Amino acid sequence: MSPMERIHSTQYYTFFQSDKERCFYIDLGQKVVRLSFCQLLALRQRIWSINIENHFDEDINPHGLEILALCNREHLFVLNTLEVLDLKELLTGAFFLLDIAAQTPSLSPRV
Amino acid sequence: MKDIARQQMSIKVESMDMLNAQIQMEGKASASYLAMASWCDQRGYNQSASFMYQQAAEEREHMMKIFKFVNDCGGSALSPEIGNINHDFTSLEEVFETALSQEIEVTKSINRIVAGAKKNSDFGVENFLQWFITEQLEEEKTMRDILDLFEIMGRDGIALKLIDERIKAE
Ligand SMILES: [Fe+2]
Ligand SMILES: [Fe+2]
Repeated sequence: MSPMERIHSTQYYTFFQSDKERCFYIDLGQKVVRLSFCQLLALRQRIWSINIENHFDEDINPHGLEILALCNREHLFVLNTLEVLDLKELLTGAFFLLDIAAQTPSLSPRV
Repeated sequence: MKDIARQQMSIKVESMDMLNAQIQMEGKASASYLAMASWCDQRGYNQSASFMYQQAAEEREHMMKIFKFVNDCGGSALSPEIGNINHDFTSLEEVFETALSQEIEVTKSINRIVAGAKKNSDFGVENFLQWFITEQLEEEKTMRDILDLFEIMGRDGIALKLIDERIKAE
């Protein structure tokens, strides 16, 4: 792994960028995952499509877990409700700091 | 730090999300017009049927236009899932009333995206949608003009036949 710049951290996760490889890394605790830009967009779409309310519904999602297959199913993760929310927060912040999101309530832009 | 993400994508993710929702809406409009075409075809309203087939094709074009735009800007366009299409109408007039309300919903949605793009200083998106704004005004007018025919000519069997003959697919 070449030198990376830390872009953003949340309670559980950290988001990095590698200028040299022109890609991104997410430290998910159990594993560090390398993502191209389109894989990053796909991850965002996957996370955004999660209906978190189902985590509180005994019938639909009794264990409140989400199975996440990343990068064409190269990696498989099981996230609980708090981890899903934290990953969402990580991506929200990272996209804003990467200058491709217009809004985030809690962060100010990099200069 | 290099602007790697920004170099890959020239629109904001907020715009991308709204445009993906619009892709879904145009796709649904296309499917809905197809249902109207079927209703008209089965009842011998041939001109209205042709008109609706053409509308269905146009809505698909709108969908493709946005779809291509999102991908061309480096975003990720999503192929929409379309369900819940209404096939039941009680009259030819109701078909066109439904068409008008559907167009009004699309107009509102386009306006919301333009307002959002403006707020986010995403001017490329705002500019891209100008064509849709003009298009929506025309589409609403087309439907309103057709609905006026029912006021002028009435709603009995002969009137409906005459109205149908006046409806033109451009
Ligand atoms: Fe349209
Ligand atoms: Fe339309």
